[in-house]
Amino acid sequence: MAMMDGGNNNLEELAVGCMLSIRTTLGDEFEGQVVTFDRPSNILVLQEGFKHGPRRNIRLLKTNYIKDFTFLGQADDPLDPNNCFLDLTALQTREELAIRQAEADAERIGVGVTTEAQSIFDALSKTLPVRWDKTVIVVMNEVRVGSPYNSESVIGGTPAANDRVKKMV
Amino acid sequence: MLTEDHSESMSDALLFTTICIIGLPVDVHVRDGSVYSGIFHAASVDADYGVVLKKARMTKKGMFDTNVGTEVVVDTLVILANDLVQIVTKGVMLDGGNVSRYDEEAVTCEVENHIGSLVDAKQDNQSRSPIQMENGFAHGFPRSIAVNEHEGKKLPVNHMRTSLELDCGKTNKKDFTKIEVDSASSFNDRQPGHDKSKGKADDCRQKPAVVKGKIDEKIQRLNSSHGIDTDLIQVEAVEHVSTYMISNTSDNGLSCDNDAASVKLDDRCSERSTLTDSASTNSIQGVDLISESHNLQPKSVEISTPRGTGSTRNAKEFKLNPAAKIFSPSFLHPSSITAAVPTSPNMVYVPNSSPSVSFTAIQPQVEFSTFVSRPPLPVKIADYSNVGVGNGGSGSQLSQPIIGQLAHRTQPLRYTAHYTPDLSEPAYLQTSSPAVMVGRSGQLVYVHPVSHELVHGATTISPVSARPMSNHVQFPKQQGKKSMK
Repeated sequence: MAMMDGGNNNLEELAVGCMLSIRTTLGDEFEGQVVTFDRPSNILVLQEGFKHGPRRNIRLLKTNYIKDFTFLGQADDPLDPNNCFLDLTALQTREELAIRQAEADAERIGVGVTTEAQSIFDALSKTLPVRWDKTVIVVMNEVRVGSPYNSESVIGGTPAANDRVKKMV
Repeated sequence: MLTEDHSESMSDALLFTTICIIGLPVDVHVRDGSVYSGIFHAASVDADYGVVLKKARMTKKGMFDTNVGTEVVVDTLVILANDLVQIVTKGVMLDGGNVSRYDEEAVTCEVENHIGSLVDAKQDNQSRSPIQMENGFAHGFPRSIAVNEHEGKKLPVNHMRTSLELDCGKTNKKDFTKIEVDSASSFNDRQPGHDKSKGKADDCRQKPAVVKGKIDEKIQRLNSSHGIDTDLIQVEAVEHVSTYMISNTSDNGLSCDNDAASVKLDDRCSERSTLTDSASTNSIQGVDLISESHNLQPKSVEISTPRGTGSTRNAKEFKLNPAAKIFSPSFLHPSSITAAVPTSPNMVYVPNSSPSVSFTAIQPQVEFSTFVSRPPLPVKIADYSNVGVGNGGSGSQLSQPIIGQLAHRTQPLRYTAHYTPDLSEPAYLQTSSPAVMVGRSGQLVYVHPVSHELVHGATTISPVSARPMSNHVQFPKQQGKKSMK
């Protein structure tokens, strides 16, 4: 550990903690504080929003895509070495959840439907269980709403359910 | 030791940051200006920093055309270091709790120790413990571990711990990628079986090829010009979705067959069951399957020889024909279906029949052909139609192959085409019984009666007699099906 600190710090100590305003070759522009620079991978780790609470935006930026940057100031090393720990289990859980969420979200997006249809779907989904069957919105597994998604296109289901969906559409 | 590892690959801080953003939604900007949003899943940290996203979507179209559509959600997206411009993550907590610096190091160290390189895992046996760790870590799926360590015995209680310790025992691995991989997603469920099978089947040469092929098909990589980063891709492949895993496993299993070692076969058997099980995602069943596969081992041994040849062919098909992945979905279905069916009507059914079902489900084709070609088989079957008598006369071995066959019988649900050869066996035709009619209306319906009868056989009779029983029962139905056709 010690060796590593010594070796890296010669160059990077200066950079770590620097506030920079960076423009990338792709046209992004942002301000951030250097968390670290990793020479082998050529990646600069920046954090933004460090003024607002503990949550930050992290950017990992390849330095060769930096068009230019301005030095704004110097601050402390943003990584408090005494404060870094990782809970792998928690990370795993988080990822798992995130993926599940993403899957659920993906299901909610109709494929090949208009934005209007999607917004109707979203509106319906706030109160009723809905899903896509191709481009048809299926409400409560019985009422089907096809294009053009108006009250005439509400088909099927019990009369009560049908009426309810019609009203909503 | 740790220090050296780090200095070769990446700095502590980058490593730390990388781990911090695992599982978070990130936007990855790539060279052509397009932006992909997904869940940060893994990174390669050997010199080049490539990343793997899950559930990635292109949120901004870049200058170049890619093979990733704007509408599509890519399950696993590999972005190679050359393409990578920047990764943006919102709302990260970089600071943890009040843990000392030493602890941080310890954690990192631990992580490294725990994790074996997946890539390595693929290529040799040493992979086992990391894999186990994945299981334990990711989901604590008892069954996978049970299979790993006990080969079909009941699960260890504290599997998670066990795996962890195992990993700790391993030598230090530098590959950071492993970490993320281990931390991976729900899809990791399938890895265990997959990897394990690899580990066991040391001699499966086809695997790399298979893996590659899959990668080509499944992994959507950016369309850029560079060659494939093997590490990343392999990692990816490992993490693939169920379909993959299943097809993959079948591949592995098949290649294992080449070896024709009966022991391996047994392993495979249990592996298969695990796999199937994971496909159905029913942990209880999983246990049953595993134990079951154990019981069946003698049978599988018997079967091994015939299967070898056909399996090779099958494996080749996979290799040569990328489109062979078409198989995987269909494989998946039967397996999950067969596995699922027992669950609802009666669990008892599972132990007795599912193992055979499961492994046949995975490679129905091969087995069909081999079986048909086997002269002795029809004879045995004829005996069976006489129920217990036949069984006793032909000996225990006979019953086993038949079970294998039985399993195939169930298979026809899907592979009707393959089924036809079976008709050539006269014994079947003779066996037809009233029960046959019951099942005719639909395939699923047909399954139900089978399971019921199986239950009887399973519960009342000792293993030896139970098998013939169930066989006998099942035959009529199959028969019915055939005659329907």
